[in-house]
Amino acid sequence: MEADERRNGDSSNHNHRAPKKPRLAGLITESDIRSEFAHHQTGIARINNGSFGCCPGSVLEAQREWQLRFLRQPDEFYFNGLRRGLLASRTVISDLINADDVDEVSLVDNATTAAAIVLQKVGRCFSEGIYKKEDTVVMFHCAFQSVKKSIQAYVSRVGGSTVEVRLPFPVNSNEEIISVFRQGLEKGRANGRTIRLAIIDHITSMPCVLMPVRELVQICREEGVEQVFVDAAHAIGSVKVDVKDIGADYYVSNLHKWFFCPPSIAFFYCKKRSSESDVHHPVVSHEFGNGLPIESAWIGTRDYSSQLVVPSVMEFVNRFEGGIEGIMIRNHDEAVRMGLMLANAWGTNLGSPPDMCVGMVMIGLPSILCVESDEDSTMLRSYLRVHYSVEVPVYFLGLRDGEEGVKDEESGLITAYVRISHQVYNKQEDYERLRDAITELVKDQMTCKNLSAV
Amino acid sequence: MASSLSPPEEASFHHRHSKRYSSSSSNGVAVESVSDFVKRPKISPPNYISSSEIESEFSHHDPDFTRINNGSFGCCPSSILARQRDWQLRFLRQPDRFFFEQLKPKLSESRSVIKRLINAEHDDEVSIVDNATTAAAIVLQQTAWAFREGKYDKGDAVVMLHYAFGSVKKSVEAYVTRSGGHVIEVQLPFPVISADEIIDQFRIGLEAGKANGRRVRLALIDHVTSMPSVVIPIKELVKICRREGVDQVFVDAAHGIGCVDVDMKEIGADFYTSNLHKWFFAPPSVAFLYCRKSSSGARDLHHPVVSDEYGNGLAVESSWVGTRDYSAQLVVPSILEFVNRFEGGIDGIKKRNHESVVEMGQMLVKSWGTQFGCPPEMCASMIMVGLPVCLGVSSDSDVSKLRTFLRERFHIEIPTYFRPPADGEIDPITGYVRISFQVYNKPEDYHRLRDVINGLVRDGFRCTSLSG
Repeated sequence: MEADERRNGDSSNHNHRAPKKPRLAGLITESDIRSEFAHHQTGIARINNGSFGCCPGSVLEAQREWQLRFLRQPDEFYFNGLRRGLLASRTVISDLINADDVDEVSLVDNATTAAAIVLQKVGRCFSEGIYKKEDTVVMFHCAFQSVKKSIQAYVSRVGGSTVEVRLPFPVNSNEEIISVFRQGLEKGRANGRTIRLAIIDHITSMPCVLMPVRELVQICREEGVEQVFVDAAHAIGSVKVDVKDIGADYYVSNLHKWFFCPPSIAFFYCKKRSSESDVHHPVVSHEFGNGLPIESAWIGTRDYSSQLVVPSVMEFVNRFEGGIEGIMIRNHDEAVRMGLMLANAWGTNLGSPPDMCVGMVMIGLPSILCVESDEDSTMLRSYLRVHYSVEVPVYFLGLRDGEEGVKDEESGLITAYVRISHQVYNKQEDYERLRDAITELVKDQMTCKNLSAV
Repeated sequence: MASSLSPPEEASFHHRHSKRYSSSSSNGVAVESVSDFVKRPKISPPNYISSSEIESEFSHHDPDFTRINNGSFGCCPSSILARQRDWQLRFLRQPDRFFFEQLKPKLSESRSVIKRLINAEHDDEVSIVDNATTAAAIVLQQTAWAFREGKYDKGDAVVMLHYAFGSVKKSVEAYVTRSGGHVIEVQLPFPVISADEIIDQFRIGLEAGKANGRRVRLALIDHVTSMPSVVIPIKELVKICRREGVDQVFVDAAHGIGCVDVDMKEIGADFYTSNLHKWFFAPPSVAFLYCRKSSSGARDLHHPVVSDEYGNGLAVESSWVGTRDYSAQLVVPSILEFVNRFEGGIDGIKKRNHESVVEMGQMLVKSWGTQFGCPPEMCASMIMVGLPVCLGVSSDSDVSKLRTFLRERFHIEIPTYFRPPADGEIDPITGYVRISFQVYNKPEDYHRLRDVINGLVRDGFRCTSLSG
């Protein structure tokens, strides 16, 4: 109870409206949690919440009710229920992220869709001569592959230029990131060009690092970047999200990753501006021109149920001590604790310091495994899934000439990392299973070359 | 080759009318394998789905409502909903494994089923998307690129029907008009007397498109218009387009599969899209977009939501547009099982729906003293029936309010249409309802509508009395 009270009075709580705090007696129990995730496959160490997220049974139940409402009498639902339900979800989110106005919040399928929306707009500006061909889009080299392809499809295609900033990894401090970002911006503005868009991840996917997004956005403003798009696919439910404080023009986060929604739903925040925003959903319906939130609320007949359960998800998270904040803190602490346990056991390192991690941590793999390519890392991942029932993504760190890299206890170069996730359904045994699997591979002197022969 | 999507049905193993994935009804028994042969009963009168089974399959429909609007949102039987839940659970159980091992192969199976159903040449010609609205965005985005990149001249034309779906019109505005294309809408008569009327108007539209040395780059034609609903003579129109040098023909057949005959080779369009959740019993939502391999621009089609599959062909791009629920797209093979429980499979269903909707329509026309909006042979499973003139329908607002009134007061769900009077017409029919007939409908549904409207007429009801 005391912890709750401290959090209530905590001045760093930027929430617009305080979440409901549960009575102690009503808190969710261990066995409740097991029951909520009883549909997860047993017997595997599911330590990859970051990729596809999870959804508790009670929220799935709420989703089914929405689906049935539509199927029962779809016209009635379309005319009387749907938009109200979507507005309720948007309102919950708007409060959660400290948006000024619910009209700044649209619901879309996922971050990939939001990227298409932003980049289509940027592409139109290049096409229509509003931007000059030399003008640039700046992004990190580890931006999600779909986003990069979207840039290719909409920006490069019309002659826009891109500048990639290489994220240092392993990384030791925010300053390292800020420094390379500044260099990237300089490059983007070289020869009198204008940086029309900067795409910044709040939490990069692979390798996974919590970025100093507020500072980076500020630097963008100082350096005259026209628009900033924060791709925060992993953010909500991982880290505090205050869109006003972050100050970006566009901000998207998936709710099915860390916010317990069923696949799929993301919120897409577009800061209100005095001029016409010209962002549109690419699937054009009769709502075209009525503003992105309205356009996104009807993109033809489909199942909108995953977008309607957000209020039910709030009920779920508020059964936990500290609500979503409590969950975030515990996920972070456990992920770091498990990460350190693994790094110790393997004689390796963490990819970033604990304060640059969320509920996900990158841990170096022993060099002796000889992961030398993306194919190797994919093979190792499959091997762990099939032979050890461990689901964990593996990242191959391609070092460039001149980069020193980090060595493990055996003085071998660390070329690969695993990204562990911790969500409320995880247990210590999950990570111990991973620990033992890798330890055994090392003991048996397995390398990626051997694995392919198995 | 056979998928393992559904468990073998032992107790109620029906004499299946056709092979699991046959595209048209067949009279013979296709023996796939020894085990299949063994499972079939030796003396086998067909054991089709019964009335009470149908009722059970649609028992989730609101029993208090008279539901005669299958055309808008379609329907989905509970056995398919159950399969859909299985797919959803498979993903939730172990999403990584599902993504890496099952998703793409299973989506390919769905595409194969559709390819056979629509008589396409290659699986690659079939992409699965959410709905016809999405398909329109895909095709029109390609058209927009062609204008922007100078492949088409600014001012070249896109010809479409005046009765095109509202969302498609907006899509044309967003993509074509914005990138410099000139849009021509072909005015169609309504009520319509014959297919020739439509063909004539379409020719005029093409002429207008070619005026001043322009090219018609795209003809966007509905297979079955939505409101007012009429089956368009699509084969003839496509032929005319070819003769007149139209670059591409895109058929919007939202009401296609399960409603009209959908044969890609026969129809001959470049692009063809149809929703499966309207008349093919899929859950919301799934549609296919067919793109003829030989068509110009086929390689230039992209899903607007760009993923890491960009550049691998539309079918592959569409199979991964980020994390989402693909379960509606995965149940397609199971739907074939469902429709094959009916006599004649999907063709039998189409035929009976058509006959029933015409029969019910005639009953209403007779009772109300009105008329159809088109001859019966120009309708499929929906038909426009004129409302009594004395109801005083005089605007779009009137029909909208009337629809709401029928829903709220009488629990009847039916879309309504305002047909503005033309000059010189005396006492024209200005209001129409669009009735649908699907397997769950019964004559009582239409009797109820008939009686409610007659009751309103008796009471001297006029639309002006409805509040907005």
